[in-house]
Amino acid sequence: MSAEYVLQMNHISKRYGENTVLNDVTLTVRPGEIHALLGENGAGKSTLMNVLFGMPVIHSTGGFEGEVLLDGEKTHIASPYDAMHKGIGMVHQEFMLLPGFTVTENIKLNRELSNKNMFSRFFGRNLETLDMKSMSSDARKALDSVGMNIDEFTRVEGMPVGYMQFVEIAREIDKTGIKLLVFDEPTAVLTESEATQLISVMKAIAQSGIAIIFITHRLDEVMAAADSITILRDGKLAAKRDKKDTTIVELAELMIGRKGEAMVSTEPREVPAGNVALKVRDLYVDMPGEEVRGVSFDVNEGEILGIGGLAGQGKLGIPNGVMSLYAADGDVEIFGEKLKLGNASNALRAGIAMVSEDRKGVGLLLDQSIEDNIVFNAMQIKDEYLYKIGPMSLKNAGAIRQVANQMIQELDIRCFGPTQHAGTLSGGNQQKVCIARALVMKPKFLFVSEPTRGIDIGAKKLVLETLVKLNREQGMTIVMVSSELQELRSICDRIMIVSEGKLVDTLLPSASDADFGLAMSGIKPGEHEEKGGDAQ
Amino acid sequence: MTKNKVQRIVAVILVIASIALAVLGFVNLPKREAAEGQKILTDLRIRTLLNATGDGVVESYVAIAKKDATAAAKAAGGGMSAIREAVAKAEEETRAKYSNATTDYAALDTSALEAAVAEDEVRLKAYYTAAYVAEQAYIDEHMAEAEAAAAAEREAKIAAGEDVPAEETITVDMSGFVATEEMTGLLAKADQAYEPVGAALQGIYPVLDASALSTLKGTIQDIVYQQGDDFTVQYDRYMAAGSGAALENPVSAFLVRYADDLLYGALALLVCAAVVLFYELLARKLGIPRIIIGLFFILLCFMSLWYDLSLSTLLSNTLVRMGMNSIMVLAMVPGIQCGISLNLGLPIGLVAGLIGGLMTIELGIPGWGGFLFAILVGIVIAAVCGWMYGHLLNRLKGEEMSVTTYVGFSIVSLMCIAWLVLPFTSLKLRWPLGTGLRNTIGLDGTNFRHILDDLLAFQIGDFVVPTGLLLFMLVCCFLVWLFTRSKTGVAMSAVGNNPRFAEATGINVDKMRLVGTVLSTVLGAVGILVYSQSYGFMQLYTAPRQMGFIAASAILIGGASTSRCKISHVLIGTFLFQGVLTLGMPVANMLVPGSTISETLRILISNGIILYALTKSGGESRA
Repeated sequence: MSAEYVLQMNHISKRYGENTVLNDVTLTVRPGEIHALLGENGAGKSTLMNVLFGMPVIHSTGGFEGEVLLDGEKTHIASPYDAMHKGIGMVHQEFMLLPGFTVTENIKLNRELSNKNMFSRFFGRNLETLDMKSMSSDARKALDSVGMNIDEFTRVEGMPVGYMQFVEIAREIDKTGIKLLVFDEPTAVLTESEATQLISVMKAIAQSGIAIIFITHRLDEVMAAADSITILRDGKLAAKRDKKDTTIVELAELMIGRKGEAMVSTEPREVPAGNVALKVRDLYVDMPGEEVRGVSFDVNEGEILGIGGLAGQGKLGIPNGVMSLYAADGDVEIFGEKLKLGNASNALRAGIAMVSEDRKGVGLLLDQSIEDNIVFNAMQIKDEYLYKIGPMSLKNAGAIRQVANQMIQELDIRCFGPTQHAGTLSGGNQQKVCIARALVMKPKFLFVSEPTRGIDIGAKKLVLETLVKLNREQGMTIVMVSSELQELRSICDRIMIVSEGKLVDTLLPSASDADFGLAMSGIKPGEHEEKGGDAQ
Repeated sequence: MTKNKVQRIVAVILVIASIALAVLGFVNLPKREAAEGQKILTDLRIRTLLNATGDGVVESYVAIAKKDATAAAKAAGGGMSAIREAVAKAEEETRAKYSNATTDYAALDTSALEAAVAEDEVRLKAYYTAAYVAEQAYIDEHMAEAEAAAAAEREAKIAAGEDVPAEETITVDMSGFVATEEMTGLLAKADQAYEPVGAALQGIYPVLDASALSTLKGTIQDIVYQQGDDFTVQYDRYMAAGSGAALENPVSAFLVRYADDLLYGALALLVCAAVVLFYELLARKLGIPRIIIGLFFILLCFMSLWYDLSLSTLLSNTLVRMGMNSIMVLAMVPGIQCGISLNLGLPIGLVAGLIGGLMTIELGIPGWGGFLFAILVGIVIAAVCGWMYGHLLNRLKGEEMSVTTYVGFSIVSLMCIAWLVLPFTSLKLRWPLGTGLRNTIGLDGTNFRHILDDLLAFQIGDFVVPTGLLLFMLVCCFLVWLFTRSKTGVAMSAVGNNPRFAEATGINVDKMRLVGTVLSTVLGAVGILVYSQSYGFMQLYTAPRQMGFIAASAILIGGASTSRCKISHVLIGTFLFQGVLTLGMPVANMLVPGSTISETLRILISNGIILYALTKSGGESRA
């Protein structure tokens, strides 16, 4: 430990094609400290870690600029295996454990201790006998150091999630010569008490001289655990702070920041306070990766309500649950009438339309023409664009062509014509087709989920303007879900922030960056006074 | 850019070559019937005649030499062995002397011979024409008898459990034919006309005597005229006899002979030029496999022309086979659209249709009533079985390809047992001895044999148009097309295209898959009945096993993928697939006589194209 820093990543830049994801980022970690790495989704945290671990994705896309120093010496990390040899370990967000193996076997996986035997003399190391005794004593030691009293011969299968996390940590600690451990959102799946225990384990590990990089978006945990903090925003270094010099509010502000100019500017107005259009009580949605755990809110007629939050926190689950695309439970009322969850056609019939975030998966029939895509819902749900002859029905090709051409013109869908296949369009134009399909339904209520994901800036602007126009001119009530806070703030009347499947707070677009930042990490602005007070 | 240029240059060169060939062909083709063509034939004919009689001349010299040698030996007073020796020696010497003797053809005056031959040819032609007319009349008169006899023989064979060929040419026994008076008169005249030919030949080869001439008569007359031979056949025959040296201008004669092939070649080059020029467009619109198969089909067409096979008959057969297979191929459409991919479990439908057909025969319902009854029964059974099969497929989503394949195999094997125990009693269906149904059940006029094929059928030259069959095919295609445009049809193809999308619109995915599966199975039942009526037989036991694969590969050749298809894919695919098979067999037999290469071809094409489509569908799902 002669050098001042165990890890120095100096002026790291990384480009994927035209797209700069890391721009001159510097990260320094002292031995034995807990260093928090903060940032929103897409701020560059994972890319930075990929650089640190020498992931193939970095090397295969042209490497990176800048230098990495371990213990003050310049090194080149060629692969994750190389990183492990150089004393860098990672505790993954998704557990990398073999369920059918015991705790010991998992901890010692691919680093097994073994004794020579008759066969191994001839056939090499791979046939040596496992030395279960010393393996289990090593495992015991590692488990003890993370404060786990579970038997080392238990199978991983069927263990509580929190235990698996600790087994994972124990495995990293067991590696000899480990100098630096990266914890990637370790508390995301843990209960509160488990999270507290984890933090104390982390502190214990740090005390033994191992440095820790702690990636998270929970500001209160950062304040509880970290010694120093690096904040990334949009691939750039936003700030580096020591805990003692900062407050939770400052961190939230730094994390959100003001990103560029608003793309669409709307006249500020009072929040429409008409009748309640959509009333949701205790909504639970079982959408993998986006679970909703008990959300209640009202949407007023004529407003644009935004739903924001970090990825994986459940904001996408809300529209998908109301539209019954995933199993959902709860009381939903639309324009005063009860909506039965479980079949997507109920919501559609009630006059709700949705533009899905999963364009290719749910949003489009990629192999079918633009016009067929546009009229599909209206045809199936409202029996429009059909000739009816008794029980028989036939597509009304003329009417379909007409409405398709009209939509293509109105939404400026760039295509060769209404018969072009949806799969051959660009992302932005596909999104417009999805919007067109929702509009042909003439909905009174529209869900738009991540409408600007993966589309170019011109299309983004047009999509947002279309939404505003629909709201202002036709009085359509819109709920927009987006990861881009800036977008929500530019067109929404109110913004709900969701964290861990629960509604944290409903804010006005004019609320401060700090309020949004805190809400996104799950802290209601009203509460942070006390917590912030604690931290200081 | 440069690639484009190369393309254009190659195309232009091909077009120029094609125009050159076409001009040559068009200039030379009319010459066959004109003076020039006749001159070529006459030259060849005279030379062949001279060559042939020249052999007779040698024989004459040998005979004379032998006689002289015998006389000389006897005069010398030698014994039998000495005589034999002397004769053998004389023969050998004479042969050696004359066989290698070259006649100076250029110096010969053949004008008398030519005139005589021309006269003889006219006479012979008159005779053979009359003979042909008389024979045809006889055949027409006795055809009914022969057909009855053939049918009886067929029945007997089927009763004995032997396999019978699908298409049989019925021949009339000509042993009872007696030459008419007209024929004898003309023959006498032809014989008269032979005299001056003989005389003229004697003028050239003085050694020929009357007996030699009468021996050579048959050969000479064959050389002079043969029934029904056109220019190319005569030319080939004379050339094969080695008379090419007689031609004043071999090159132009060659061009006249191959004028038609030059035209075909010109057309082929034009096709090549078009393909080279529009390759990108074709590749985009049709896809590479269709270009390959299409070009292969065109190649087969040209080859059958080259080998002077009757292309119109072959294309007519192609049309019939397209019609008989098309409904089974059509059965793939609802399957692919509803998302169960290729319905290789088609044998379920086929078996249902076969049961319908069997019941018609069992109950003895004749004609159209019987056919419609068979279809109705088939549809009902297929609907029930298809419904159960659909439930099975809904439980095993994602594994459709293997499930359908194994279901297809299993049902065929299961029915192999069923055919043995089903309680049918008609003797037309059962083995005469033992239990169970026959392997192949022949349909006849009392059932629905050719009921669609013969409906409104008409003929243009060799080209028979099975109007009823084609109409039925088009009507079925139209109905399926209408269905795909109905609300249910649209929902069904959405389910196949993107189940999650369909679910998001509240469509019951399982129900739609069920609808598609039932429809596919029902179409299979109708398809096998259409196939059987055209084929003339119902094949039980293992015969339906391969049919699912054939139908699947046909639609894939037509341009469908495992997740997307249109009606046009059915029509194009069936035509190309059946066309390649129908044309491939005779052409392959010309190339490699007596081979089973066409069967190998069928298996290669059908299985290869399925494999290709699977690699493609994998690629798409990954994207």
